[in-house]
Amino acid sequence: MQKSGLQILHLYPNHMNLYGDRGNLIAIQHRALERGIPVEVVHAEPEAPISWRDVDLIFMGGGEDSHQARIAEDFLRRAPELTRALEDGVPMLAICGAYQLLGHYYRTVNGDKLPGIGFLDVTTEAGRPRAIGDVVAHTTLDITPRSLVGFENHGGRTFLGTGAVPLATVQLGQGNNGQDRTEGAMHKHAIGTYLHGSLLPKNPHLTDLLIRWAVDRDGNTDLEPIPMDLELKAHDVILSRC
Amino acid sequence: MLRLWIAVFVARLVGMLSRVSGRGGSSLPGIVARRIDPEVLRKLSVRLPKGVVLLTGTNGKTTTAAMAAFLLKAGGLRVVHNRAGANLILGLTATLVQASRCQVYPPADLALLETDEASIPKASEETHPKALMVTNFFRDQLDRYGELSTTVGLVKQGIAAMDADGWLLLNADDPQVAFLGEDYGRVVYFGLDLNGGDLGSLGQHDAVDARFCPRCGKPLVYRTQYYAHLGDYRCGHCGFVRPIPDWVVSEWDRQEGRITIRSARDTVALPIRMPGIYNVYNLLAAVALSGTLGAPLGPMGAQLETFEPAFGRMEKVIIQGHTVWLALVKNPVGFTQVLQAVGDSGGQRPKWALLVINDRYADGQDVSWLWDVDFERVHQAQHIERWWVSGVRAYDMALRLRYAGIPDHKVDVVQNPSDALEHMLHEAKADVPLYIMPTYTALLEIRQYLTQKGYTRHFREG
Ligand SMILES: [Zn+2]
Repeated sequence: MQKSGLQILHLYPNHMNLYGDRGNLIAIQHRALERGIPVEVVHAEPEAPISWRDVDLIFMGGGEDSHQARIAEDFLRRAPELTRALEDGVPMLAICGAYQLLGHYYRTVNGDKLPGIGFLDVTTEAGRPRAIGDVVAHTTLDITPRSLVGFENHGGRTFLGTGAVPLATVQLGQGNNGQDRTEGAMHKHAIGTYLHGSLLPKNPHLTDLLIRWAVDRDGNTDLEPIPMDLELKAHDVILSRC
Repeated sequence: MLRLWIAVFVARLVGMLSRVSGRGGSSLPGIVARRIDPEVLRKLSVRLPKGVVLLTGTNGKTTTAAMAAFLLKAGGLRVVHNRAGANLILGLTATLVQASRCQVYPPADLALLETDEASIPKASEETHPKALMVTNFFRDQLDRYGELSTTVGLVKQGIAAMDADGWLLLNADDPQVAFLGEDYGRVVYFGLDLNGGDLGSLGQHDAVDARFCPRCGKPLVYRTQYYAHLGDYRCGHCGFVRPIPDWVVSEWDRQEGRITIRSARDTVALPIRMPGIYNVYNLLAAVALSGTLGAPLGPMGAQLETFEPAFGRMEKVIIQGHTVWLALVKNPVGFTQVLQAVGDSGGQRPKWALLVINDRYADGQDVSWLWDVDFERVHQAQHIERWWVSGVRAYDMALRLRYAGIPDHKVDVVQNPSDALEHMLHEAKADVPLYIMPTYTALLEIRQYLTQKGYTRHFREG
């Protein structure tokens, strides 16, 4: 079957959709369509069948604790297929709760360990108080500008293992754990992060990178440049708070 | 007694001085009074013959409270009620403390207090309300409250501290709200019974939370969905169903601006001049509340002809010959509803809109919520031909419009709100209705500007 555009898999949109995560999908769609790349978004709730070989990009957002508990079992059941796709270089953006679930586990205040799929070498501990506020971070990704901006709102403290590469270094805000100044984690083309805000609309360079990876997993294809004037003005408003 | 007396009069003096010195600070008298006598709210409310009524929920508090107070007063009761924004425990205290100039106790039959969800446990514990109304639960400023379930939990604490004979008034159409009545004996439900077909259900993307059964967590099935998660629902799994409302809107004539409300007592036809289905809910809630508290239904139709909306809640102002509407926006469902109401109110005529988005504490510091507002579906239907965008986060807003498919040439960014308003007034033809949609602190800025310019006599901060 010939592919005519990008297929984005949105995991658990009904359960995992806090803080305008939808804005990230809108941004990907907009910047792909502007370049003439049609986009199809496929929603998958628990137990829905997924045709993994058609998926070009995966998105999953954060959710309230009670919702996260509802989808956790289904997510773990899909671990082998998801891991295979990610190992093959399918790009994924996982925000907040989804980021935690890509790690090894989340340890609750009671000490219970809620397992993740362990694709990212990170672990998360429940913490207090919540880390809330604007974030400015400097990324190691090869994109211009190097700054990423967003808004964090999380109780969990995430710690990176030796196999994890941080997405960015925090200049404003708490980031992963408020201690080591790291924010997010990456492996292959999977990005886990705490940044909402919404993240992708005001970080068009990151949006474009995800689209580039989705179009060509080797990342050799350059995308047609399109304006990012308004996007970067929104970006700069937060950047100037640093 | 002496302590109470000192607390009340010192607080009033402080309030007077802060008003004279031009500092609005409506919570200052509350701070002072509670510092002198921590029991002040408890002592003042216990003397009210009909006690205290608390009104809470995410959206519609201010308009519902203003209408209910209006109807109760028209029905012959003496009512003290708080101003919008003064809805935390300090504001409630300040309201009762300042209810009279010379007496210690408020010269009123009852106090109707719009109360922020976070202050409900304390307010209820101190006032043991004779009635508590919950309008709806939507996602609001998550950076303040954490999660929606936290908010629901706070209201539950408040219900537990109610007067033993207190009435719980609940929106039957909101599953999370209705579920609060499961373990409570004296519940009054209100809801809509309209043909959903032509209403258009918007705001599908927000408050995802409430589309799951509050009892068992499985997805709910809707027979009718009025907006967001409000409607006639049932759970196929555990059998939780929408309660049958005691007060129900059985007809809504949008052209004529009339609704029909049925209750066990009577059926009344009432005028509704504020557009939007959320205002139908607000009026219904106000009628259910004032009716339950004893206001006669018969005269309400005539009384409501003279009701003026609270400040910035679809309020009409005439500026230099332009008709300008002011409507506060503060969360995805509310914003989507206001946009839809804009469409309802002016028909096919072209309109201009000014969106003013700030991200201060009272606005919600995370502007992510703008991405959950349903601009994609709303903007085509509302005939808004030009958009002005302003405020601290003007560029986020402009970007939101661009990504919703609104062409850049229809959008102007002017970061300073009063400059933006002046540009818009200057360029708009007089017959183009203008809609200002500000976040909370932006609304205050706009008000200050309008007052300074003398465009409005005075504003009731209601
Ligand atoms: Zn159920």
